[in-house]
Amino acid sequence: MSAPTESEQRLSYETRDRLYQVALYGSAALFTFIILFPIYWMVQNAFTDSQAVITEFAWFPSPETVTLENFSVLTAGAVPTYVINTIVVTIGTIVLVVAVSLVAGYGMARFRFKYKESFAQFLLLGYMFSPIVLGLPLYLIWSETGLLNARIGLVIALSAISMPFAVWLMWKYIQTIPESMEESAWIAGASRWRTFWDVVVPQTKPAIVACALFAFAIAWNDFTFAQILLPSQDSTTFAPGIMRLIDQGGYTSWGDIMAVSFLMTIPPLLFAYFLQEYLLKGFEVRTR
Amino acid sequence: MTVNISNMTRVFDAPDGRIVAVDDLSLTIDDGEFLTLVGPSGCGKTTTLRCVAGLDTPTSGTITVDDRDVTNLPPQERDVALLFQDIALYPHMTVRENMEYGLKIAGVPEDERRESIEEAADLLQIGDQLDKMPASLSGGQQQRVALGRSLVRDPSVFLFDEPMSDLDAKLKRELRPVVQRITDEIGCPVLYVTHDQEEAMTMSDRVAIMDGGELQQAGPPKEVYDEPTNDFVGEFIGQPAMEFFDAHVESANGTAAVALGGHTISLDASADQLEGYVDRDVRVGVRPQHITVADATEGIEAEHVLDEPLGDETHSLFETEYGNVTVVTHADFDGDDGGEYGLVLERSETQLFDPASGVRIF
Repeated sequence: MSAPTESEQRLSYETRDRLYQVALYGSAALFTFIILFPIYWMVQNAFTDSQAVITEFAWFPSPETVTLENFSVLTAGAVPTYVINTIVVTIGTIVLVVAVSLVAGYGMARFRFKYKESFAQFLLLGYMFSPIVLGLPLYLIWSETGLLNARIGLVIALSAISMPFAVWLMWKYIQTIPESMEESAWIAGASRWRTFWDVVVPQTKPAIVACALFAFAIAWNDFTFAQILLPSQDSTTFAPGIMRLIDQGGYTSWGDIMAVSFLMTIPPLLFAYFLQEYLLKGFEVRTR
Repeated sequence: MTVNISNMTRVFDAPDGRIVAVDDLSLTIDDGEFLTLVGPSGCGKTTTLRCVAGLDTPTSGTITVDDRDVTNLPPQERDVALLFQDIALYPHMTVRENMEYGLKIAGVPEDERRESIEEAADLLQIGDQLDKMPASLSGGQQQRVALGRSLVRDPSVFLFDEPMSDLDAKLKRELRPVVQRITDEIGCPVLYVTHDQEEAMTMSDRVAIMDGGELQQAGPPKEVYDEPTNDFVGEFIGQPAMEFFDAHVESANGTAAVALGGHTISLDASADQLEGYVDRDVRVGVRPQHITVADATEGIEAEHVLDEPLGDETHSLFETEYGNVTVVTHADFDGDDGGEYGLVLERSETQLFDPASGVRIF
């Protein structure tokens, strides 16, 4: 019997290369399947008759059971409210995060103040806590201040957890813009604020897109904060809303739930696809 | 307009103490005068410029433009133009928008803006580049746009912060006359900061040499070259740099002479003119153009190290008891490596400096 190393050596380069390729594509295919199958299942069920989803099991949709009927749930009951709430909260969060991170990032990049580095590190401390740990105290505070069940309350909470990353990104990005450009504008007579608008902001476009996408992902997919801070049935967003649809007891219409879920998955996909170039640019630190 | 800097000092707080970047500087730039501030890096020239621009504030002293005290005014209220080392064009604006920006801020009507931009662009030969983005222009063209941006604003003071240090030698030579034409056109006081003595010599009406935060000398290019106030100026101005030798002053029948390397060079000066230095040590400074290479029997003993032929002349390096000495030799000069030669200093071009203070005494 030969030692394993020798037998390995005996494999020709070509065979080894082929084995490597098989292993590579095989593992990639496996992971793709694990990730994509639930999505496939969601899409399939969204287009399948509600009764058929429960009574018959099928790997592939059959012509008899395919239907668009499930999508009528979008106009029924509380679902339209959920969707609108999600959109409003997401847009609100994006606007707030971008506005605050621009100003804060500029301040950190351009002004000297004591303990700046410690302050920046302190910002990141927020990520040490799970949303539920932050959410419960927020519930108490929000209920005292009347922000409970208000969309603005959720916008503030979601912005707060998106902010540290966004501020860091903006800070580091603005540092790459030469200060002489601003100085040149000041000398030309522009105020600091005007220079910020005319010279700095247009150049941070990639970072703005990256921050917006990050805030979008946090807000659009949020479950915990919405569940805690928007407890009332008709003020909540999509994620907790769909949970409540399932919990309503008795009959659960999986077809409806999958139809709503499917529609809510489309915007993130579109965003990620069309803005990925910008996103990458936002994360890369320019050399000049 | 006249810019007047008087007794200006700028001190920075550093972790390891205070740094005096500019020390009691007084300087006047007349209307239409092109004054170059030159010196090695860290000499305080850029700090001075930034104080005049309003991007920095002096710790003490005043800066006035005509009768207006601008010492503590923000840059927006100074009506200066500044050309940066990194050009600093706005990358998200076209060339036209870049040139237009200052006028827009000032509220100049659109047709007037268009007119002055086209005029400036023609003068700078960038008329066909107006709708391009800065990134698509070459370094020289970008520099022209930056010049145009300042030109259209018709500033009352024009400042330059080493604008050509990132350009290659050929482009520098091409841009120098452009800069001079533009500054003549505006006719205001010009403060030009550079570390390149050649730029300083070729462009200026007056050159001001700084070192260690202090002004060493200010005067016309020819004057600072011929009559440096001290050994620093002598060494900094002129290419290749002035060579120095330790020597001893002697007096022979009332005529002064210096002894160095076993030889005596008699000077065009009486012993009285060198009052206080007779029988004492001095430093002798001679430009490499005024040293000749002779046989080993003459002058200072020297061992040939290498030749750098430049085509029209050759820079030859010798090793002597005073250290390495560069000599400008004939274009055809080709020394023996390690060969023994003698270096003869031209008598009339010999300058004497105080060994302690560096001040020129003759």
